[in-house]
Amino acid sequence: MITIENLVVSYNKRQNVINSLNLKLSKKTIHGIVGLNGAGKSTLLNAIYGLKSIDSGVIKSENKKMSKKEIAYLVSENYFYSNITAREYLALFKNTNFDIDKWNKLFLLPLDTIIDNYSTGMKKKLAFMVILKQDKPVMILDEPFNGLDIETCRIIHQVLLKLKEKNKIIIITSHIIETLTNLCDYIHYLECGKIKFTKEKVDFKEFEREIFELLEKKNEDLIKVLTE
Amino acid sequence: MIIAFIKLRFMQILRTANGIGLLRFIFLLGLIAFIAFGIFMLTAEVLKSFYVSAICIFIITLIQIKRSDAQFLKINFIHFKLIYLTEYLLLMMPLFFCLCFHKQWTSIVSVVASTLLIINIDYSTKRKSLNTFIQRVIPLDCFEWKGGVRSTLVLIIIVWTIGLVTSFFVASVPVALFILGILPLNFNEKNEPLPMILSYERGTNSFLLHKIKLQIVLYTILCIPLIASFIFFFSDLWYIPLIEFFILTTTHIYIILTKYAFYKPNSKSNGSQTFGVIGAMGIIIPIFIPLVWVLSIRFYFKARKNLNFYLNDYH
Repeated sequence: MITIENLVVSYNKRQNVINSLNLKLSKKTIHGIVGLNGAGKSTLLNAIYGLKSIDSGVIKSENKKMSKKEIAYLVSENYFYSNITAREYLALFKNTNFDIDKWNKLFLLPLDTIIDNYSTGMKKKLAFMVILKQDKPVMILDEPFNGLDIETCRIIHQVLLKLKEKNKIIIITSHIIETLTNLCDYIHYLECGKIKFTKEKVDFKEFEREIFELLEKKNEDLIKVLTE
Repeated sequence: MIIAFIKLRFMQILRTANGIGLLRFIFLLGLIAFIAFGIFMLTAEVLKSFYVSAICIFIITLIQIKRSDAQFLKINFIHFKLIYLTEYLLLMMPLFFCLCFHKQWTSIVSVVASTLLIINIDYSTKRKSLNTFIQRVIPLDCFEWKGGVRSTLVLIIIVWTIGLVTSFFVASVPVALFILGILPLNFNEKNEPLPMILSYERGTNSFLLHKIKLQIVLYTILCIPLIASFIFFFSDLWYIPLIEFFILTTTHIYIILTKYAFYKPNSKSNGSQTFGVIGAMGIIIPIFIPLVWVLSIRFYFKARKNLNFYLNDYH
């Protein structure tokens, strides 16, 4: 269980991006984090991972300080070192039980080609393979489906459901709400640096309807004026 | 449109200057002034002015081939070649000033004519996935060398072979060592993604020392046959390649420490690039060498502090 209590994170101490946030993330569960652009999703994930210093509050895993050793983090933007092949990159991460070639039957990547020549989707697949190879108890996936084709999205969907059963905590963000409602056990709505509400699977349909209605209503008048 | 674009470029330069800090910017300006002074002196003679012009044209050609915004400019601007031309001419203004001052009219015409040809070059380099025996023997965790050797393998083999085969000429090995010493400086240009440094599962100190050790071992393996060959032919001058090797090795260590002193995942750091230039200058202008050594000590502690933020869970 990951426990976040009264978390405050700011940039330059001027304005809090995360503002007294409280959240509990249980094992064997996939948690979706939803929010509009600038709501603080990536900042929250960076803070959990330890990439962003926190101003106050605590992030604990099983009542101990959260450590990078427990987390595999897939960042939203693909970035790799130049002129190395995918096989070399994967080989950096130590896990003798992970058979690269067997897993690659799912992703069909040219492993002996340098990553610079990969497409956006291929880079995303490679980054996901690294996450799988790391095999950490906590997986943070920031926009994992961006740039992927339908088949790979489905594969990742299936893999994540299987991994969940292995007692993992999976935290995932996506701008496509349907992706999360199909996959997650809980969805946490982040607004102005706080979890505004959390919905369980049974409430997802209602949540989707509510959120779409709210957003459409918010911009309806302006769209009407602009398109007339 | 051209003026707006040039203004944009100046804004980019100003923001970069802002990013590297005032002191470093002043230092960089000093270096540029030093080079400009060198160009001014060299362009006084006809033959040397040709050499300087040829080097400038070569640099502009490399920029044209390597520039990453070519597709963006082609898609969005009809007169993209005019943008290239304006940028290159502005970039070469100090050279034009020097050539005009010394009345080197032939050189000026050659540079302008060459630039007009260069802007028509529509070629970009495609990276090749070279997987040779050499890449396989480089240790897995030395990805900088794996990547760097992949992109410069042909050049390394040519320089190394020529250096070794012609080592009975006194200058061959020192020149080969110099070129082979400069090439690895680029290997550490980019910051790697965070998972790559975490994959070592080492604390800050152990990580830094491991990186330095790998660099020294690989560079030494590359240089030993050349140095041995030189000492075989010129035993009385044994100290020349050893001193050169020492200076280049300390520069490599400096570059590694600079990289991690300014390390931020997934980026090129302005600070490390600026100080990297100082390191490279140390190889060419000896007065910078003591500065490089002093800065190495300073950056060792800075790198430890900086990396501690990322590697604190591995102590």
